[in-house]
Amino acid sequence: MMNEWIPLMVVIPMLCAVIVSAFNKWSKPIKILVVIVAICIPIIPLIAQYGIHYFGGYAPMIDTVTGILYHPSITYIFNILQKIFIFVLGIVTFLVVFIYVNKYKKASGQYLFLIFMGTSSATALLLTDDIFNMFVFFEILALVQVGIVAASRLEGNFEMALRYLILGAIGSPIMLLGIGFLLATTGSVNITDIVSAIQNATISVKSPIFLMSCGLIFFGWLYASGLPPFHTIKSGIYSKAEPHAAALLQCFTVISMISILLIMYRIFHVVEFFELLVVIFSAIAMILGITLALTQTDFRRMIGFLAVGELGFIGLGIGLYTQFAITAGLFQALNEMIITALLFLGFGAIVYTTGETDTRKLGGLLQYHPKVGLMILLGGLAMAGVPPLNGFRSKLMLIQASLSCGYPELSLLAIIVSIATFVVFVKMFYTIFLRPKPKELEISKNDLPRSMIFAMGILLIMIVVIGICPNIVTYGISQYVGGILL
Amino acid sequence: MKLYDKFFNVAKRFKQIFTSGSVTNSEVSGILTAELLLIVSIILLVVLIRHVNILLCGVMTLLVAIILIANMPLIPKFKVEQEDSLNKMLFYSIITLSIIIIFIYWGGNFV
Repeated sequence: MMNEWIPLMVVIPMLCAVIVSAFNKWSKPIKILVVIVAICIPIIPLIAQYGIHYFGGYAPMIDTVTGILYHPSITYIFNILQKIFIFVLGIVTFLVVFIYVNKYKKASGQYLFLIFMGTSSATALLLTDDIFNMFVFFEILALVQVGIVAASRLEGNFEMALRYLILGAIGSPIMLLGIGFLLATTGSVNITDIVSAIQNATISVKSPIFLMSCGLIFFGWLYASGLPPFHTIKSGIYSKAEPHAAALLQCFTVISMISILLIMYRIFHVVEFFELLVVIFSAIAMILGITLALTQTDFRRMIGFLAVGELGFIGLGIGLYTQFAITAGLFQALNEMIITALLFLGFGAIVYTTGETDTRKLGGLLQYHPKVGLMILLGGLAMAGVPPLNGFRSKLMLIQASLSCGYPELSLLAIIVSIATFVVFVKMFYTIFLRPKPKELEISKNDLPRSMIFAMGILLIMIVVIGICPNIVTYGISQYVGGILL
Repeated sequence: MKLYDKFFNVAKRFKQIFTSGSVTNSEVSGILTAELLLIVSIILLVVLIRHVNILLCGVMTLLVAIILIANMPLIPKFKVEQEDSLNKMLFYSIITLSIIIIFIYWGGNFV
């Protein structure tokens, strides 16, 4: 039985993107439309039932000779993991759209096109069971990110967008080449079919083409997720996007990372060194991200590097490849989406009120914006893994997972990196909020838009609720992971 | 005293290269934390070699620790390598691709 709600999760934001772009001149109707669609995006996954959708209605066929099941059409699978992540992505998209329509009198259809197209692509990445379809949406998402950075009005944004595009011109074709090799070996782009071909030993996992495809797709995944060597450019694009857009960009990155990694695991976990490489690259991302965050003076860049460091925690969990570790990694991914979104919005408020991003020129803002200060502080504590917030729960799970897998070094590394994250926040909070205000600092806009405070408040509530009751998400994620490990 | 001095030269050297104006306490604390984090975390990563061979792990850990401490301050050098230059990003991308292929392609065939 097909579930018709599943494609709607991708089609509705995509259709909205096309409409707002085509009717760019009518600002007011566009604003109403985008708010309605933004409200619908998190609601659809909540009301949709779990299931599978075959595009074109082509159901799987059984080969009567071999008894193997084939999927002739693009297949989307909707399960508890997709429900949780699409819901959170929908919430962040709604908050970003809400801030945007309140901030600007005239809505830009093109900019809103990028936001909705990105949400649609990230949703498709989570749902798809087709590796070529995954590549198409991965490519759209990369271009959307370039567009969002280019559309910001910040200094140096075009240069950063161009650099990301040039690096994408390496990462994307290499991934496509890997997918091509996989198609050549297995004769299918459907992931379930590829996995069953490997399980039935129809193809050799030691075949050079199969191994090469693994390496090439792995490299493309590094680009999509902003792990080293792409950590500098990833933090760069966060810092050159509008703060509310950066909140959404990091959600796209996290979703690209986990969805492509889960697909790679299903196909390539039989390859020697695959898990080791995931863990090593994740550990390097943690080290480089936090080390570079400690040396920054621009707070947007600082958050950008912290976000990259947190990606390492996700990879570490998933890379250990046990049910508990993968659950911890995915839980960390969910928490990172919420926490980093809150921090980008919070620091966006600082930019809005002072027009300054250099921590050396800031100070004394707690007396002007105590609510923002408190919310940023709680967000920072959550990221550093301070109890009882959600970051603590997932990081504790990750530490327990690496200990139980026999890697105390990784547990120690996770603890040290969390402490360093705490140091970054103490340093940043002190320089921006607590120390005396420099004489030359001007508070140009003292009243912050209520939409910004509202958005931060919603995200903070999510941080606290998930921190207090982690089971509302971990139980479902654990069930899903148990299913894919079978 | 030499090692102690080395730690405090980190901030001085960093300031010479990257920042203008006076250096603040929070900057110094950030840079020193980064330096220590880098050394400790690289050594921790090297300790992972114990899963391959304990003797090799011991030798490598000592060697890496000596190299890292002898080359202090690391952060200024590290920061130069991690800047927003497209050339460096491309260089490291190619190096990474080569490492991945070596590990997966040859590793998958011969291990």
